[in-house]
Amino acid sequence: MTAHNETGELQPIHHEPTSFFLKYLWSTDHKMIAKQFMWAGLVFLLIGGTLAMMIRWQWAFPGAPVPILGSILLRGSGGVIGPAQYMTIFTTHGLIMIFFAITPLLIGMFGNFLIPLQIGARDMAFPWLNALSFWMYALSLVLVIASLFGNLGPAGAGWTTYPPLSTNLGTPGSGQTLMVAAVFVTGVGSIMGGVNYVTTIIRLRAPGMDYFRMPLTIWGLFLTAILNVLFVPVLGSAAFLLLLDRMFGTQFFIAGSVTGAPAGDPIMFQHLFWIFGHPEVYILILPAWGIIGDLFSFFSRKPANFYRGTVGAMIAVTVLSAVVYGHHMFQTGMSPMLGKSFMVLTLIISIPSVMLVLNWLRTLWGGSIRLTVPMLFALGTMFVFGVGGLTGLYLGAVVPDIYLHDTMFVVGHFHFTMAAASFLATFAGLYFWFPKMFGKRLNDTLGKIHFWMSSVFITLVFGGQLLAGYAGQSRRLYDPYQYSFLTRLHGLNRWTSYAAFLLLLGQFVFIFNFFRTMFFVKASGMEANPWQVSTLEWAIPSPPPYHNFDTIPIVVRGPHEFANPVVLERLGRDWIGQAEELPEAMPGSARKAGT
Amino acid sequence: MQSEVIALRSPRARTETTAWLGMIIFLGSWAMLFAALFFAYGVLRFGAMQWPPAGTPVLPVLLPAGNTLVILASSVALQLGLGAARRGRASLVAPAVGASLLLGLGFLALQTLLWMRLIGSGLRPQNGPYASVFYAFTAFHAVHVAGGIVALAWLLIRALQGAFTPARHLHLRLWTLYWHFVGAVWLLLFVTLFAL
Repeated sequence: MTAHNETGELQPIHHEPTSFFLKYLWSTDHKMIAKQFMWAGLVFLLIGGTLAMMIRWQWAFPGAPVPILGSILLRGSGGVIGPAQYMTIFTTHGLIMIFFAITPLLIGMFGNFLIPLQIGARDMAFPWLNALSFWMYALSLVLVIASLFGNLGPAGAGWTTYPPLSTNLGTPGSGQTLMVAAVFVTGVGSIMGGVNYVTTIIRLRAPGMDYFRMPLTIWGLFLTAILNVLFVPVLGSAAFLLLLDRMFGTQFFIAGSVTGAPAGDPIMFQHLFWIFGHPEVYILILPAWGIIGDLFSFFSRKPANFYRGTVGAMIAVTVLSAVVYGHHMFQTGMSPMLGKSFMVLTLIISIPSVMLVLNWLRTLWGGSIRLTVPMLFALGTMFVFGVGGLTGLYLGAVVPDIYLHDTMFVVGHFHFTMAAASFLATFAGLYFWFPKMFGKRLNDTLGKIHFWMSSVFITLVFGGQLLAGYAGQSRRLYDPYQYSFLTRLHGLNRWTSYAAFLLLLGQFVFIFNFFRTMFFVKASGMEANPWQVSTLEWAIPSPPPYHNFDTIPIVVRGPHEFANPVVLERLGRDWIGQAEELPEAMPGSARKAGT
Repeated sequence: MQSEVIALRSPRARTETTAWLGMIIFLGSWAMLFAALFFAYGVLRFGAMQWPPAGTPVLPVLLPAGNTLVILASSVALQLGLGAARRGRASLVAPAVGASLLLGLGFLALQTLLWMRLIGSGLRPQNGPYASVFYAFTAFHAVHVAGGIVALAWLLIRALQGAFTPARHLHLRLWTLYWHFVGAVWLLLFVTLFAL
């Protein structure tokens, strides 16, 4: 038992602070920081979603006053979205969803909550840095909100903020400056979080928690954190140089000059942006892959099929994600030779991706599937990710991309992968770990209604975008029907918008369920391990005590120990915890267990 | 079993290794930021017809070369201070940290002199990429030096209180790492901006 005490001594038990400030605001407890990320992330998810509804309204009924929202947000124009306002709406929608909603939810919330609990640690390696990381994010939210009230309106250069549109020539208002600053600040917060996650996973795993005994969720978060640490700084450099161009008149990205002297290079921004941007799409999907990989095993009551292969595929995707960014730039005058190399590397990603999906399907195959709400959301994630992945092949290959580039097909594709898959996986995880976070379960029936409304309508919305794009509709058009060849897409776009409005409606089912459970359901009567799974966090009370583990557990087996006949014979159940001792025989028989 | 492996090193040593690893990962991450900046510089420089452009004041070499020696000396002094703390020669720690701090301040003073001279000779950040790169990169680097100087001042106070012993000198160790990183970035800046 020496190991036991030594590990405990490494992470001494601290008393829970009682002051409001230290408990709720400057909390260094990873569980409280996770809840801070959850609240902020969910609020901004709703804001980003509402902005999306305004875009959809414009495409369904161009020029008509927006009901409800129009009378609040667009009072000056009688509720009608003008072209400039339309630009700011889709820009703000994209940036909020990626940097201020999905990132904090998938990485901030799950990363903080799960990493220490699932590897058997009492907290993160650097709790203070962890709190600072959240407050950097909170500061960036202040900048985002300030940007909405900038002179000349909010940011309007698209989520990719390409110069010269994003320089003072294209968007001279302070809204754009504040938004770029917000991205820089939240990037610094992400780096702090990433450093913390990587260090924690390398150094604080409980005895016996080998790398290949970690839940797939932890693998996903680990690889995401590595990508964050490596590539968010590249975005930081692009944002930094852009800020200098905007505020101090430097000429990094401003091309052309009357004197003929050397000038900046707008394409350089695209390089910097996509060197970060391509890993970013995997930053947003890797935790989702990890979560659903675990859930498929948990609710098929089978060990995950070829666990090491799944981990290897995730690592392969992580490595490849760093060398494919050029496929975003086929149309920017890139050498065709270079384009071909990027195409080959991009298409190679489909090999590990298919391996992941096959492993998930093989996990489900022949399992005793329990269609719980988290499982439904996990299955939905796999479906939408499959559609997103397959449409990616069209865009990764140079020839179809020449036709599809900058159409709604691109928008549909990346919404299936980054938006739909991350969104559904976030809810899979939220329904699954809500009992661990708050000690009570969300209502199942409402959860199922929420699932069907979310997954069906999200598929219709982004499917409609794929169709419109394939038919030739360019992205970011204020009024597509000004082009006569697109007028016949009006019906398709209107029906897609109806699906989007129903998608939003479905989210109110979740909001109702969430608040009802959080504030009006008593936290009692829930079994300690409601899903009957083997990972470490379910072996302790819900919600966990401040220091998580009274004694640091000693892990003896992998994360998916299901359907083991020996366990069934001796314990009478189909699962056994990662740190649970297997008794020599049935409890209560003559031989004493464990001696 | 596990116990034998773990018992080799004390909990404090293991916690310090964790902090050290965190610092390495952070500096690796920050190095990516500078790598991206150098990438941008490379794109601009190799894309230009003429570098420096005709009619633009050329950056001096001698003053930044001297400044390179100053910041390297500051790094060496801090490393000596760390070595003194490790060997328990407490009386040498504070003078070494103090020397490092003074050299760091000297570096910033010389940088300010350089900026003033160049602004005086008519080179402004608005003059195109050549000037933009120079001002942005040196200023961004100077912010890192200034941060290090604040930390060195704090370390000096701690050293005067005799806080650094062979067993406990984690903060000195981490900031030494940071200071070497800032020095190394300057060396790269000097070679690519001024010497080449």
